[in-house]
Amino acid sequence: MLQGCVAPKPSQDLLAPTEAQMKLRSVQTRTFDVKDRQLAMRGVIAALQDLGFIIERANEPLGLVTAARFAEPNYYDVVGVTVTVRQDTAERLTIRANAIYNNKPIDDPKVYQNFFATLERSLFITRE
Amino acid sequence: MAGRTPGVRVIAAALVGASLLLPGCAATPYEWRHDNQWDSRKQIWLSEESQVRLRAAQSRVFDTTDRRRTIEAVVATMQDLGFMVAFLDEELGIVAGKKFEPLERPSIGTDPFYHLYNDTSLLIFTRSYRSWGPFWHRSDLVRLMITVRRRNESQLVVRASAQYYLRAVEDPVPYQKFFHTLEQALVLQGQLVQ
Amino acid sequence: MQTRLFETRDETELLSASAAVLQDLGFQVEESAPETGFLRATKERSAREYGQDITRALVAIVTIPLTLFRSGPIIIPVDLHQKIAAVLIARPINPESTRHEVRIMFYRVVWKGDGIAGESAIPPGMQSMEMLRDPVLYQQFFAKLSKAVFLEAFTL
Repeated sequence: MLQGCVAPKPSQDLLAPTEAQMKLRSVQTRTFDVKDRQLAMRGVIAALQDLGFIIERANEPLGLVTAARFAEPNYYDVVGVTVTVRQDTAERLTIRANAIYNNKPIDDPKVYQNFFATLERSLFITRE
Repeated sequence: MAGRTPGVRVIAAALVGASLLLPGCAATPYEWRHDNQWDSRKQIWLSEESQVRLRAAQSRVFDTTDRRRTIEAVVATMQDLGFMVAFLDEELGIVAGKKFEPLERPSIGTDPFYHLYNDTSLLIFTRSYRSWGPFWHRSDLVRLMITVRRRNESQLVVRASAQYYLRAVEDPVPYQKFFHTLEQALVLQGQLVQ
Repeated sequence: MQTRLFETRDETELLSASAAVLQDLGFQVEESAPETGFLRATKERSAREYGQDITRALVAIVTIPLTLFRSGPIIIPVDLHQKIAAVLIARPINPESTRHEVRIMFYRVVWKGDGIAGESAIPPGMQSMEMLRDPVLYQQFFAKLSKAVFLEAFTL
């Protein structure tokens, strides 16, 4: 669509959220009735490992976990995930997961449902 | 390598030899300086005997229980030896550092890529091959790791392990020299294990 | 395969002993976060293989006639560098934290050298990645770890 030799101009909405992104956010976010953030982080780590991810970073003070997985059998592609654990109130915390395939965000809700199902299981095991 | 008949190896050697004789071959001397093997996954292991030999050469026992002071001395020693301390965990008693030795200097002039080097990005998940240094300088990376662990109620054991030109350093002499410097920093004599 | 359990309260000792075992194998610790039980160690090694040298020589020999069309011989890049990594996580698996789980994953990234195809050079650095799934690798790691912490490693 680019006309002639003019460089493309950023649209006015470049930094405004689109509807698709808002929808994605609700898919990526869950709240849990867990008090202990460290426990939740360990649960996130365990869930990611169960899904075959390699943990790259686990930063407790920031509540941030980054992980990645080689998209085997495709040896050149990487699936990356960033999970943040945020304490909302003393009793509840919010967990948000962002997944990308190489540089492209994954917007399939099934992927996130699968992650949260695994997470629930691993949080449940730790609490017994 | 085991289980292969000598015949196969002779043929292999002949073919490798032939590849070396090819004119304009991509097999540069740089490549030949790297270890060759049948299965590169085997690099994950060190042989059991070299593990035992290395453990003795790399470890010293110190008559102190002051972990903090020992770690501080280790950091000071590493800095004296020109290593940049890239990792330190006091709780686990681990210090790791690295330095770059210009082992792969071009014969004429300088390699401009060498100055673009960003050594903080040694993370593994990057799709750019510049991530681990400019390609021909990756073997310049020297790494050193020290662990400080409690041995018993009155002693600590310090272990050093180094990596040089994509190999584990197995020669005991560099370790002796390292511990000599560390002993001076600690003002303590280290003993060999057992 | 990647997981073992240990009857212990002392997570720090598990992590520290794991680091010692990895040091035994020539790894260098790169990052840790004891508060989440996380440890990553890596080592860089040569990735050359005789088999690939042989393939390259054969391809080069076969493509020598292409020299007549100014496009041969073709030199295919071979594996040259690799970075082997181990990521380890320790975590308590009961509410009293008397039992800990240790999970380790080994993986590697391999980079190829350069090559020649026709009149153009193939730049070095083509990268591939793989998980290491040899069960013996994991068994031996845990055997060494349980020796280092004087505890039996078990699975459920």
